Amino acid sequence: MSPNTREILEVSGLPPEGAKLSRIWEWFVVAAVALLFMGAIHLHVMLTVGDWDMFVDWKDRQFWVLVVPVSMLMIPAALQAVFWHYFRLPIGMTLGAVLLLVATWITRIFGWHIWGYFPFTMGVPSTILAGAMACDAILLIVRSSLLTSTFGGFVFALLFFPSNWPSLAAYFLPVEHQGMVASVADMIGYVYPRSGTPEYIRLIERGTLRTYEGSTVWVSTFFAGIVCIFMHMIWWRIGLAFSTQKFVATSRRFRRFMGLADAVQPASKA
Amino acid sequence: MSSTTTAIPAPAKPEIAADRKPGYYVRFNLFALALIVMTVMFAAYRMYQQVYAWSFGLDATSPEFDRYWMTLVKIQIPVLFGAGFVCWAYLWLTRDRNLAALKPKEELRRYFTFTLWLVAYTFAIYFIGSFFAEGDGVWHQTVMRDTPFTPSHIVLFYACIPTYIFFSVGGFIYAITRLPAFSRGISVAHALAVLGPVLILPNLGFNEWGHAFWLTEEIFSHPLHWGFVVLGWNALALPGVALQIIQRMVPLFHEVFGDKQAAQTA
Repeated sequence: MSPNTREILEVSGLPPEGAKLSRIWEWFVVAAVALLFMGAIHLHVMLTVGDWDMFVDWKDRQFWVLVVPVSMLMIPAALQAVFWHYFRLPIGMTLGAVLLLVATWITRIFGWHIWGYFPFTMGVPSTILAGAMACDAILLIVRSSLLTSTFGGFVFALLFFPSNWPSLAAYFLPVEHQGMVASVADMIGYVYPRSGTPEYIRLIERGTLRTYEGSTVWVSTFFAGIVCIFMHMIWWRIGLAFSTQKFVATSRRFRRFMGLADAVQPASKA
Repeated sequence: MSSTTTAIPAPAKPEIAADRKPGYYVRFNLFALALIVMTVMFAAYRMYQQVYAWSFGLDATSPEFDRYWMTLVKIQIPVLFGAGFVCWAYLWLTRDRNLAALKPKEELRRYFTFTLWLVAYTFAIYFIGSFFAEGDGVWHQTVMRDTPFTPSHIVLFYACIPTYIFFSVGGFIYAITRLPAFSRGISVAHALAVLGPVLILPNLGFNEWGHAFWLTEEIFSHPLHWGFVVLGWNALALPGVALQIIQRMVPLFHEVFGDKQAAQTA
């Protein structure tokens, strides 16, 4: 028995077999948390900003940098609140980011690549891992939800573009296509058309976007930062509200309907 | 000089009573069966899509579509919902009517069984919320839809969702019929965690109505899909259920296992 295990047994006040059973229950919870949040976070992200995440040619300078971190922050912030408030574990955001990335890659392989025959290069997912780790680290240091929202939420958005840059830089390189400048990502989109989806880049790359002093990405990033601050505040509280431990007492009538002995028998016998 | 060796008998390990072993409290068999059935079922559905979606799933008016895809719908809906009703009826009819007299050991065992219901539920949630949901994007963003019963919808909405309804409603009935705390009061978190995802099925009406009426291209982030998002948020309530379980399990562990002294003399 390791000193660590011995210490845990001392604190819990349980004999080894009780502690072992308790540990088995914890493993079930670990499995449930992983499965639940792989499903829940991925569903939320794909139905709010999925298009920007699914396709490399949707990863633009104006909206991808803005909407994806805002959406991807929501449920991990709720998870962070639950882990911190009840267990003092500063891991919620990072856990959410990892589970989302794992879930996303599984479907990119088994869905987009194997079923849809799209190349992996088309479906490189966005990652929030760096921002999530920074947000958890800030929580660990400041130990306050308000300050975590203020600084962590902002840093989360700030790190989004730089941390995605290594995996996407190659696709932003310019190429000449039929006498016009396009990016490698655009080219992939031209070669692999999706007949049920609009051509996004051609819709949004207009106006002053290309000539806004070349700083559109950072304007979007700072905008995402301010939104993420408030989104983190809101979702922290949503996480705590959803994890309520409240029971609404059942009526005697309901208990009689269930045939429970204490409700069916006269009060004196119950 | 001769030496002799004497075998020293090893001290006999104290026999651990059966009701102090994990196997007494954790009934793996049914849980393992549920996971195996779901894994085989989901893998089979995915392979079926791979083999028959591109070849017979593109035109809803073709006889092949009717044969390979609509036949599947006609079989799976009654089978999956039928299995659900049988299971829920069994849980209800065999309910414990004297929960006030429940012994701590049995209550602890039931909490483990309840936890396994929830784990099975989350296993189904992963496949619906992630694996087959983005598969729906693969299909509809690539192929124009001409029916609500597409090869991805038939699997996602009419097979996977009944599967998680089976486990969510089953777990809810199990809790209120076998656990005193969950029968004395309805757990708000548990009700949310069951109701939200269950309501995703009727929300299909809005989804299909919108796709049929507006003929939108498949933009996954379209507001038409946000009903699923809001209802999916209810899954966040499951940690609340876990906390309720912990609150009751901690005293139960101490009641059942007692202190270390009791363990050594057991």
